[in-house]
Amino acid sequence: MPRLCEWLEQIPWIVTITNSAVLISLVWLVHYIGFFLLVGTTAFVDLRILGAAARNQKLAPLAGQLFPFAWTGLGMVIVSGFIMFAGQATTFYPTAVFRIKMGIVLLAFIFGVVVQRKSAVWGRAPSVPAAAKWLAFASLALWIGAILAGLEVPAFIPV
Amino acid sequence: MHTWLVGICDQLQNIRLVVWLVTARYAYPFIQWTHFTGLSLWLGTTLALDFRLLGAGRKFQTAAQLSDALFTWNWIGLGIAVLGGFTLFATAAVGYIDNPAFRLKLVVLLPLALSWHIFVQQKSRTWGRTPETPTVAKLAGLMEIMLWVSVGTAAVWIPNY
Repeated sequence: MPRLCEWLEQIPWIVTITNSAVLISLVWLVHYIGFFLLVGTTAFVDLRILGAAARNQKLAPLAGQLFPFAWTGLGMVIVSGFIMFAGQATTFYPTAVFRIKMGIVLLAFIFGVVVQRKSAVWGRAPSVPAAAKWLAFASLALWIGAILAGLEVPAFIPV
Repeated sequence: MHTWLVGICDQLQNIRLVVWLVTARYAYPFIQWTHFTGLSLWLGTTLALDFRLLGAGRKFQTAAQLSDALFTWNWIGLGIAVLGGFTLFATAAVGYIDNPAFRLKLVVLLPLALSWHIFVQQKSRTWGRTPETPTVAKLAGLMEIMLWVSVGTAAVWIPNY
């Protein structure tokens, strides 16, 4: 794996992007906007399931409307995140907090997929089941945790 | 730069709590976390409505229904983002106020984007009654996306000064 990280850091177009203030700032911009779209829309569906948002609207059409935007955001996050990682792969890879962040993101993604798949079923029930609320709460906590873990990464990177 | 403004910023960043936030190693990311959590709610719900106005994605809901659903948490998100953003600003107020990218973001782009957002949110109730939105709604949605992208561009450029 360390060899793969070294190889990633030396890919010419990764080097070009990493060393250009303009290009790497654009990559950060795509990462942030993608993350806001992903977390904002997913968190909103979670809040609706928890009964804290848009209670006058049916769950299934609302979730169906918002989830495609969430997955668009995820695509933006993955592409930009890969470029950001590749540029400093040997620094990021051994850092525990980076691995914790990726673990939280993976868990949040799994919960997000479950919530999306189940929201059509939950939406048909007279009231949202308690299990659904626990899942939504876990999803919400994981995404908010992912933001914190992501922001903590620079604090743990050796200067 | 007005000396009185620098003076206020200097006092702000020397408040005891603010000094503690800067010096405690792991506290700063928590302020960023508040800002980013608020931004996620604010921009995630804002962009979702803009994309719906553009006609992108599915049409399970009209833009008017979506706007109505998102309204409360959209503004709660802005409130959290402003709280975190102001605290972030306080930690290095003198430096921020002297930063051209920050000034462009705060004084020009942010008020523009925010005003346009209020206009679009109000109009979406009229534009978004039918599944297909009128051309003016599509243009307004696109304009708002571009305005928030410009705010974000200025924000990511701040560390380069």
